[in-house]
Amino acid sequence: MTATDTHRSIEAVWKIEAPRLIAALARMLHDVGQAEDLLQEALLVALERWPRDGVPDNPGAWLMTTAKRRAIDTLRHRQMRDSKRPALEYELENGPMAPAPDQAEMLDDDIGDDLLRLIFTACHPALGRDMQVALTLRMLGGLTTREISRAFLVPEATVAQRIVRAKRMLAEKQVPFSVPRGEDLAPRLASVLEVIYLIFNEGYTATAGDDWARPDLCEEALRLGRILAELAADEAEVHGLVALMEIQASRLHSRSRADGTPILLLEQDRTRWDRLLIQRGFAALVRAQKLGGADGNYALQAAIAACHARALRADDTDWSSIASLYARLAAVTPSPVVELNRAVAVSMATGPAAGLAMVDELCREGTLARYHLLASVRGDLLFKLGRRAEARAEFEHAATLTGNTRESTLLRQRAAACAP
Amino acid sequence: MSYLLLVLEPQGQRAERNTTEARDAYASMQAYADGLQARGILRAYSSLRNDAEGQRLQIRGGKRTVHDGPFTEAGEMIGGFFLVDCATREQALELAAMCPAAQWATLEVRETGPCHLG
Repeated sequence: MTATDTHRSIEAVWKIEAPRLIAALARMLHDVGQAEDLLQEALLVALERWPRDGVPDNPGAWLMTTAKRRAIDTLRHRQMRDSKRPALEYELENGPMAPAPDQAEMLDDDIGDDLLRLIFTACHPALGRDMQVALTLRMLGGLTTREISRAFLVPEATVAQRIVRAKRMLAEKQVPFSVPRGEDLAPRLASVLEVIYLIFNEGYTATAGDDWARPDLCEEALRLGRILAELAADEAEVHGLVALMEIQASRLHSRSRADGTPILLLEQDRTRWDRLLIQRGFAALVRAQKLGGADGNYALQAAIAACHARALRADDTDWSSIASLYARLAAVTPSPVVELNRAVAVSMATGPAAGLAMVDELCREGTLARYHLLASVRGDLLFKLGRRAEARAEFEHAATLTGNTRESTLLRQRAAACAP
Repeated sequence: MSYLLLVLEPQGQRAERNTTEARDAYASMQAYADGLQARGILRAYSSLRNDAEGQRLQIRGGKRTVHDGPFTEAGEMIGGFFLVDCATREQALELAAMCPAAQWATLEVRETGPCHLG
C-alpha cells in the first residue's frame, strides 16, 4: 500500500467511525467538544503512524484506544485542579462501572444511545442554526471543515469559527450530553429534524455551486435521518422526514440536464427515478402512519411526494389526492405557500377556474405579493382559461420579482407566447 | 453513491461447517448488517441460499435454456450481498474490510452505475 492509499484508507475509516467514537468519548468525558478534539489528535497520530506501520486490523478500535489514552492524560490534568474525578478516570481505564444514578435513569429511555445524545447535543437550541448544522456535519458526518465550507459555499475560516464557537458555547452553558426527556423531547426532536432537513434541502434545491459537494449533502442528511429512525423508532415524524427525503432523493438524478438546467417534476423522465429509494420511502411513510403520525408535517409532505412517485406517467398523477393532502397540510402548518400549492393541485384536479379562485384569494390576502410563483401560477391559470392579456401581464410581473436569471428568461418567454 | 458488496464463498464451504459454526457465522453477518443499518448506509442486503438450488437462464435465438446449479466451474458462489451508500470507493473498501466474511470468503466491491459506459 502506498502512502497515498493509506491516507485514503484513513480518511475512509474516519468517515465511517468518527461519529460512533466521538459519541462514546463524549459520554465518558461529559464534554462533546473535548471528545472531538481528542479524536482529532488521535487522527493526527494515525496519519503519522499508519503510513509507516500499516493500517491496523481494527482501525476504529485503534483510534478509540489512542483517544482514550489522551483522555486519561487530560483527566489527570483536570484532577490536579479538581479532586472529584477519580470515578471518571476509573471508568475510562476499566469500562463503565455500575450505572451511576443519572445513567440508570437513561437506561429507561427508549432512545438512550450515545449517537442519539450526540445528535441532540449538536442540535442544541443554545446554538444558532448555522452552528447546529456545522457541528452536526462535523461530528455526525465526519466531514472536514473544508468539505462543509465547499458544500455551503462559505469560507473555510467561517465554518471553523462556527465550530469553535459552538463547542465553546456547549461548554460554557454546560449543556448535558443527554437525550431530552418528557415534554422537552418534542421541541428538541423538532429542532433535530429541522437541521437534518435543512442539510438535505441545501443539497437538493441548490442549482449553483460544486456538483460534487451538493448531492453529497443530500446523502449525508438521508444517512442521518436513517440513523435517527433506527434510534428513535417510535417517533412518527422521524419516519415522516425519512420518507420525504428518500422519495425526493429518488429524483436526484433526473432533476437537471447535463448542462445543469433544472427539469420540472412533471417533465422528468420517470424511468430514471430510483425505485429502491421510492420503496424505502413508502415503507418509512407506512411506519409513520402506523405510529399515528399520518398528519405530521413531514409525513404529509412525504405522502404528497408519494403520490407523484406512484404515477408512472405525469398524466397519471392523482391530483385530487394531492389537493386533499395539501388541505390537511394547510391545517397542520398554515402557510400561504402551502395554499398556493393546494391551488395548483386543485386546478389540476378540477380545472383552472377553481384554482384561480384560490389564487385570487391569496392575492387579496397579500402575504405573497412579492413572491414570483404566485404571479407565475396566476399567469398560468389565466392562460389556460384563455385570458391571454391578463396572463401576459402576470408573467411579466413575475419576471420582475425573481432574482434568478434563468427563471426570469423563462417567464418572459411565456409572456411573449401569450400574444394572440 | 451506492456500492454492492458481493460475498464470494468457496464452493462447498457451507457444507464443511457444523451447525454451531454455521449459526455463529450467520449471527456475525447479521451483526455486521445491523452495524451498517445503524450507520444509516445500508440500502438492502440478504444472504442467499446455496447455488445448488439456483438456476441459470439464457434465451438465444428465441430458445430458452435453463441450467440447474451448482455452478461449479467458478469454484466459488455468490453467498450474499450488501448494497451500501457511501461517498468513496475507499469507504466501500473499508466497509468490506469490516465484514466478517472477509475472513473466510472474498468480498467483491462494485460501484453501481450505467453499464453502457463500459
